[in-house]
Amino acid sequence: MDYTTYPHSISIGDSNVNCGNVTNSNNTVNVNKIIADENPEIMRWLSPLDPRRRHQDVRIDRLDGVGRWLLETNEFQEWRRGEGGAGGAVLFCYGDPGVGKTYLR
Amino acid sequence: MAGNLSSLVIDTLCDEPCEEEIAIAMFYCDFRDKGEQTTINVMGAILKQLLVRGEVLEHVRKAFQKAKVEVGGRGLRLPDMVQMLKQAVAILPKVFICIDALDECLPKNLLELLGSINDILGESPRMRIFVTGRPQVEAEITRAFTTSVTIPISPKAHDIKRYLEKKLEMDTEQYAMSDRLRADILRVIPERISGM
Repeated sequence: MDYTTYPHSISIGDSNVNCGNVTNSNNTVNVNKIIADENPEIMRWLSPLDPRRRHQDVRIDRLDGVGRWLLETNEFQEWRRGEGGAGGAVLFCYGDPGVGKTYLR
Repeated sequence: MAGNLSSLVIDTLCDEPCEEEIAIAMFYCDFRDKGEQTTINVMGAILKQLLVRGEVLEHVRKAFQKAKVEVGGRGLRLPDMVQMLKQAVAILPKVFICIDALDECLPKNLLELLGSINDILGESPRMRIFVTGRPQVEAEITRAFTTSVTIPISPKAHDIKRYLEKKLEMDTEQYAMSDRLRADILRVIPERISGM
């Protein structure tokens, strides 16, 4: 699977996000349906930060296939499927500086 | 790792068909913004991304109107924010929260942030949290959450090779490169680094 060329995008410049707007996905709640974007005053009240822009920057630089091993681990798959209930709710990936930041940017 | 892995996880969650409805919120901690990345602002940024259903927005709108009337629009307090997040997570079928580079938070914010997330998790055990950071934040993670699954990230030969290939493609001095040198680079460096 190609992680950088799929047809989803997060537009920069306004707070309208399209993430996961992909055919054959039956997720009906998605980041692309942020209805509150029509309420800028409430948005500012909640937080001045907009992490979706950073996400866009990072994903543009990401290389295809890098890090895919993580998605294939049992830990990740079980976490994602929600196995283990509350006990399996938190997945923490840790690494020293240099394992990814320096080499894999 | 930082950023890359988190963005990959977020995109994977967003893109791959999933049997149930999901909502995803992300946050990238950055030491350059640590002054602004207070717990309440981070939690607020997460909540903004969860306003994907009318009912969730209605709760937030009510709180907003109330705050506006009370003291002419006073600022939010963390317990109010956590309460709104609890309501949002309870309404939404399944919520994923991904937070990148926890070690880039100020220590006092980190404990508060993890504590707040754990508070929400206590009421909504179906919520899933993905966090990354340097090994030193493991102590805080263990302190904040009763259980967590950990995966160590080490440089992977495949990832390093992929990175080198890209860099070699972009090399502006192609005349200095030979097939043999290229092959040596792609063989030796991934071996050395992944063997560290």
